[in-house]
Amino acid sequence: MRLLINGEEHNIDASTLEEVVSHFELEPHLVVTEIDGSIIERSNWSVTKLHDGMRIELVQFVGGG
Amino acid sequence: MKQNKLTIAGKALSSRFFLGTGRYPNPFVQNEAIKASGAEVLTFAIRRVNLGAPNEDAILQHLEGMSFTYLPNTSGAKTAEEAIRIARLAKASGLSDWIKVEISVDEKTLLPDPIETLKATEVLAKEGFVVLPYTSDDPVLCKRLEEAGASAVMPGGAPIGTGLGILNPYNLGLIIEQANVPIIVDAGLGSAMDVVQAMELGADGVLMNTPVAKAKDPVKMAHAMKQAIEAGRLSYEAGRIQKKKYATASSGLASFVSK
Repeated sequence: MRLLINGEEHNIDASTLEEVVSHFELEPHLVVTEIDGSIIERSNWSVTKLHDGMRIELVQFVGGG
Repeated sequence: MKQNKLTIAGKALSSRFFLGTGRYPNPFVQNEAIKASGAEVLTFAIRRVNLGAPNEDAILQHLEGMSFTYLPNTSGAKTAEEAIRIARLAKASGLSDWIKVEISVDEKTLLPDPIETLKATEVLAKEGFVVLPYTSDDPVLCKRLEEAGASAVMPGGAPIGTGLGILNPYNLGLIIEQANVPIIVDAGLGSAMDVVQAMELGADGVLMNTPVAKAKDPVKMAHAMKQAIEAGRLSYEAGRIQKKKYATASSGLASFVSK
């Protein structure tokens, strides 16, 4: 699957958002996701089907003031 | 000694210190500084996960097991639209519905864009966020932000990270005098002296990051700032004396010992 993740192109073997998160070994409870500009709630990660070319954002809390 | 508590959006806070989580030498020093500060509200930014090193910046992993009120910011946003998007992402974390609206266009001063800040505050407050906008120290604008639904208003003392202190105490005094929501002085403070000044002017709290994180000893500075907040607040509540031009003796002369 060819996906645009955080602005970079990735070819990964994943059919749901849940698989993308585990592909990168992210802590699920610390990550927020968006697909093509819409937020996908954590409870919907496993049922959200991916398609070629989707734009995915994986964001988190970082240090800041 | 009993001190009045700061309450924001119905939540009574144990501390008037809002502490930022950026720029510390390392996570250990940061955690020690957080403990020394006594802060209950911590601020964060929202950024893309670095997929090459996913756990490098994941700050929350260092705070697990401790209990805080999370105040994510919208830093990096240049428009209301971008800030609203970041706010929604922050809320989707499930960690907090508080948001510090921070919208800056000028990279040199990072001064907040007042018009975009007002727009974003209005939209997010209507969506049910607890909105704390970082704003310039303009009394009219601060009132407008309150009317737009801000739960607290956070005027800057000086540009972010400058440590210049409170550049316009007159404005800040007016802002505090007319406010019906808490006023948190955010940005620009440098040392305990600036903090005491803010609190003596009647500020309900202060938000700091750089002056603690970049101090020679961040843990000691966090402690100093905590005490400055308490001293300034107590002094404000106690009510200072009026300034006078000439001296008043501490003891009368009626029973002065004379020859």
